[in-house]
Amino acid sequence: MLSAQERAQVAQVWDLIAGHEASFGAELLLRLFTVYPSTKSYFKHLGFCPDETQLLTHGQRMLEAVGVAVQHMDNLRAALSPLADLHAQVLRVDPSNFPLLIQCFQVVLASHLQGEFTVEMQAAWDKFLTGVAVVLTEKYR
Amino acid sequence: MVHFTAEEKVAVVSLWAKVNVELVGGEVLGRLLVVYPWTQRFFDSFGNLSSESAIMGNPKVKAHGKKVLSSFGNAVKHMDDLKDTFAELSELHCDKLHVDPENFKLLGNMISIVLATHFSKEFTPHMQAAWQKLTTAVANALAHKYH
Repeated sequence: MLSAQERAQVAQVWDLIAGHEASFGAELLLRLFTVYPSTKSYFKHLGFCPDETQLLTHGQRMLEAVGVAVQHMDNLRAALSPLADLHAQVLRVDPSNFPLLIQCFQVVLASHLQGEFTVEMQAAWDKFLTGVAVVLTEKYR
Repeated sequence: MVHFTAEEKVAVVSLWAKVNVELVGGEVLGRLLVVYPWTQRFFDSFGNLSSESAIMGNPKVKAHGKKVLSSFGNAVKHMDDLKDTFAELSELHCDKLHVDPENFKLLGNMISIVLATHFSKEFTPHMQAAWQKLTTAVANALAHKYH
């Protein structure tokens, strides 16, 4: 699905995120909840106004999962199978929410990388994250 | 009708004042055509769209991007009256251009991403939320006259 060039773009951007999963993830979640408040409905356990610690903890968990996906771009289904089970059986996040998360992910990348966030990086990450979302929702029914 | 708070209006207007419409418009449309290649279906007459660099450098893409984003400038001036402001454009997009309204959402999302590249930390979550509200409202206004 991803060409060799696209994989290289994904890996290149991941190198910039690796080590900063918590802060990146926290900003991602903060943007998600601020821009798309309905997404908070899936995070009742974080409270109505999640504090910074909660955002950092959960953000880190999410970004670490993205890191797993980056390491296994050629075999997402196997690598993300437990997470796919979790989403299908426990979390059951409506699939329409994944594009919202992806949009916020792109905005975080764009605001941090600015002019260095090339259109090829954006295209590769959009395609990659969309592929991750497909795998995570594949077992829903 | 969408209601924008005073803070949202200030956020949108203040950022818009700093936007280079020609530059940002070209980038927004160019990125749309690269990241979502199927959107190229509306631009057969634009010449070379065969590669990322061809698209981003294409003068027709830049010119049309500027035109589209200038129209957004109109939205910023009429945030309380978007349906009327875009009524004619809505009819045009339905009757003549035959554009699936889904594309308005894609373009709106692209505007947020490009603004983020230009304004970085200044494009805060609240700023992003205000712009998302505006681009969604414009998309709805453009779809309003579809039949």
